[in-house]
Amino acid sequence: MKKNGNKIAALVLSAAMCVSLLAGCGKAPASTPASTPASTPASTASVSTPAVPDTPVETYSEAPMLAEKVKAGSLPKVEDRVPDKDNVFVERTDANGTPLEIGTYGGVINWVGVSGWGLSRPTAESIIRFNCDGTWYPNAVKAIEHNADSTVWTFHLREGMKWSDGDDFNADDITFWYYMCHLNNFDGKRTGWKMLLDQKVDDVQTFAKLDKVDEYTVTWTFTQPKYEADFILDGDFKWCWAPSHYLKDLVPNYEGYEYVENPYWPNPGERNEEAVLTAAKKLGIDGASTKDVGKASTYNWWNCPGLPTISAFTLPANSSIKDDLCVAERNAFFWKVDAAGNQLPYLDALHFNAVSDDAQKSLLIRDGSLDVLDIDVKDIASALADINATETKAVLKTFANVNWGSTQITFNYTTPDENYAKLFANPDFRQAMSICVDRNEVSQLLSEGFLEPGQCAPGIGNFGYDEEWTNKWTEYDVAKAKTLFEGCGLVMGKDGFYDFADGTDCQIVFYTYDSPESDTSAYAVLSKYFNAAGIKTAQKNLELTAYDTVIDNNEWNACLGPHTEIGGLGLNDRPAPFVPIAQAAEWYGEYGTYYATGGAKGVKPEGDMAKLVELYEQWKATESDSERETIALQIFEIHKKNLWSIAYLKNGNGYVIVNSKIHNYADTLVYADKYQNQNIVHYEVLFKAE
Amino acid sequence: MEALKNFFRKDLVQYIIKRILMFIPTLLLISILVFFVIQLPPGDYVSAHISALASEGELVDADYAASMRADYGLDLPVWQQYIKWVKDIIWTPTDTPYYRLYHSHHNWKFSFAYGRDVWSVINDRLGITIGVTAIIMLFQYLVSLPIAVYASTHQYSVGDYISSIIGFIGTAIPNFILAIVLMYLSYKWTGSANVGLFSQEMLLNGVHLYNFGEFLKRMIIPIIVIGTSGTCGIIRSVRAQMLDEVARQYVLTARAKGVSEGKIVMKYCFRAAMNPTVSGLGGVLSSLFSGSTVTAMVLNMQIQGPVLYKALQSQDMYLAGGIVMVQAILVVVGILLSDIALAFLDPRIRYSGGGR
Repeated sequence: MKKNGNKIAALVLSAAMCVSLLAGCGKAPASTPASTPASTPASTASVSTPAVPDTPVETYSEAPMLAEKVKAGSLPKVEDRVPDKDNVFVERTDANGTPLEIGTYGGVINWVGVSGWGLSRPTAESIIRFNCDGTWYPNAVKAIEHNADSTVWTFHLREGMKWSDGDDFNADDITFWYYMCHLNNFDGKRTGWKMLLDQKVDDVQTFAKLDKVDEYTVTWTFTQPKYEADFILDGDFKWCWAPSHYLKDLVPNYEGYEYVENPYWPNPGERNEEAVLTAAKKLGIDGASTKDVGKASTYNWWNCPGLPTISAFTLPANSSIKDDLCVAERNAFFWKVDAAGNQLPYLDALHFNAVSDDAQKSLLIRDGSLDVLDIDVKDIASALADINATETKAVLKTFANVNWGSTQITFNYTTPDENYAKLFANPDFRQAMSICVDRNEVSQLLSEGFLEPGQCAPGIGNFGYDEEWTNKWTEYDVAKAKTLFEGCGLVMGKDGFYDFADGTDCQIVFYTYDSPESDTSAYAVLSKYFNAAGIKTAQKNLELTAYDTVIDNNEWNACLGPHTEIGGLGLNDRPAPFVPIAQAAEWYGEYGTYYATGGAKGVKPEGDMAKLVELYEQWKATESDSERETIALQIFEIHKKNLWSIAYLKNGNGYVIVNSKIHNYADTLVYADKYQNQNIVHYEVLFKAE
Repeated sequence: MEALKNFFRKDLVQYIIKRILMFIPTLLLISILVFFVIQLPPGDYVSAHISALASEGELVDADYAASMRADYGLDLPVWQQYIKWVKDIIWTPTDTPYYRLYHSHHNWKFSFAYGRDVWSVINDRLGITIGVTAIIMLFQYLVSLPIAVYASTHQYSVGDYISSIIGFIGTAIPNFILAIVLMYLSYKWTGSANVGLFSQEMLLNGVHLYNFGEFLKRMIIPIIVIGTSGTCGIIRSVRAQMLDEVARQYVLTARAKGVSEGKIVMKYCFRAAMNPTVSGLGGVLSSLFSGSTVTAMVLNMQIQGPVLYKALQSQDMYLAGGIVMVQAILVVVGILLSDIALAFLDPRIRYSGGGR
């Protein structure tokens, strides 16, 4: 009964979420911000059609704990800490456009401990923010605009905005980041981030030119048009600032980190690794190398204790994300207010409680030690029943997942073994591997029927959804599968399994890796069908690092539950899951290496693989949203035709149990890397009340 | 004073010096084993780190990975990495960047995962690890010795069987299962799962007199789980030794001379029966340090075990190596102390050839 209840509840939630997403999730970004800046930005990118009346905020209020500090003289008054009404960000709606409640101050939210990205998800503030429907609006910057041919992009900053230590946030912090932290590769991302790359001159990469127009305006200039998909919407381009007043003595200047000539920041003179490490230690930043310090202070800055940020919650000095209890404190200089002028955030702090084992989480959410917890479908009903039987009550929130189906298998199309390479390249083989499995039975066995049978395709409500694609090669037909296998040149051997035509054994070894999210256990179910259809298989389960090493070394033939799955939210999230341009995903193997290394290594893509890259280049160079959408659909069509990865079940959503005292937490949201996953919750507007 | 002088007689002092000198090759051998075993899994910290980044959506190119390896010295042959590691731990000269930065002659290297000096990571939990281990050891002996004495003096009685069953339960049930069951029962009965040694309030404000009771409450489950796992061994060995002793001639003689039963048992039999237990103290210490890792993970105990586990998982080799080396040093010292205690317990024991 509990299982059925669980299933029904989850299905109802899924349906509700899908309906809400059908409104346009994954569309090319339109400009209908759910939350709007108080000012009307002079931006071609953010024309305001507010969901909530944009009444100007005249006066500000603040948390009692800050008011006390003001009274004691240790903090400037709120009007001096928050930008004026023309520059302040007024948070009026959540990521679905639903008006927010005006909250009350105080309290903390307890999370489980943090990972490398942990603090960024609930706290980081980006250049722009996305709504659940894929539209976006300027966030940390007041407005964004570009010239007619998209060669010059202008960022207007918020006058009066401050770092968490009270120092002014202005154009100097952008130029400092770009010339002293990024272009000298202190952050390790100079060539890794493509949005600021300009053209190549004589095979040498050039970069955008950044100019400070005035204290609150900067421009990025390119020699070629740089359209928004390749610039402001790039999944990597989340920030472009660093606290110059805090980090200026930390910037290296030696081989590998040479000073980059610029009109704003003078050459600091020779500053070797030891000088950098010494300066870093004075600021409480530990590191074994310049690379460590650079990454900690200018890339993963949200995890750097004591570093001034513009986030709602900051990590104090002498703390660490590795602490058993990591406390991110309220930023007294935060630049956002609610519709009533109350300075955000409402909460005093976010608490991150370290756990050493997953089982502890389910006990901690039950005994009220945690307020928020990601939870597996199978645990929802019992957890909610247990929690709601106590004084603490909890509710379930849904995160729509944008991946392309679960229980995926894929093959190594660049394997050096000719027999297997030829076999995998044949679409009939993939079709046979797909239809030889009874998806209904797999659904029952692996998910108690919760995840529906399906194919590796965009989910309903997502950009590119195609019913035909979702159902392609999903019928269960072993006889047809055998015919297809034989059509691929396989010959039935005496042992009841197919061999290659040259008489050699055909055995497909599926690599899997240990991870709570991986599909390791699915092998036992799937292998039954593969063996019944005459395909001899084996499983090799590895620790994740060993698995990645095998993939990187091109020493594999097939995998179940790829580490980097095919597909996702859309090309403007991150293109690597859609096109073979990086040394990343299993489905394109060494083809990606070829592109990533400029042809120096890897295997040159041909046919449809090459076509994907060709289309991607066109997509990047296209200004029009509709044209980009057309190209993206062409790329999707190639995926539909080839099905390089096969999924047996549709994707499931993510679920989060949330303390019912927490307000302003939207019921359904979208879980995507582009939206920084849980960042779309907007933790600064959450508050606790009965 | 005379007794102390008499106790630390020449042969014992010589033995202690010899044993301390033996520390050097022992620890060197352990360090070689530790370093090379940690390096056995394929890949290194950089590949583990890149995997973790890939899981979080960040892609790292091969050149960056290579430069990370160069920065951390992971591109050197393993034996060179080992020599550098040991050399720097033993002595880092004054004219090195490390000394200038940390003002220490012992460079335990850098923990990649923590982004900190390894020694500072180890030091964070060393005190609490030793403290918790000491409390659990104390519990083990306080519980098992009376039970063993009782069981041996009441052989095949109901009490003997009950005490044996209690002892066996602790050994027979895997620690991690017992830990989960006790945490669940704690949640059901008290509303708090008592996960971890410290409450959030303690983590924020520290352990003081006013919240020490709460700390002790949180120690109950770890003590039961880890403590009972070792009690059976102690109960059975002491019981068997005691049974041997009570059947000896001198016991019969003492009894015939009218010595009280309590004195016979406690002064003579028990003291003699303690020899194997005391000599096994070092082994118990070792098993508490290493054997409690899984339990510490399950109970979220803020001791060294979970840090070691995470370090091994992420191939943070200097941290893992550092923790194991510190544990090895403590165990080696523990064994020496148990040998000294043995000499104290039984004056007949000599540590050099020949008799007095």
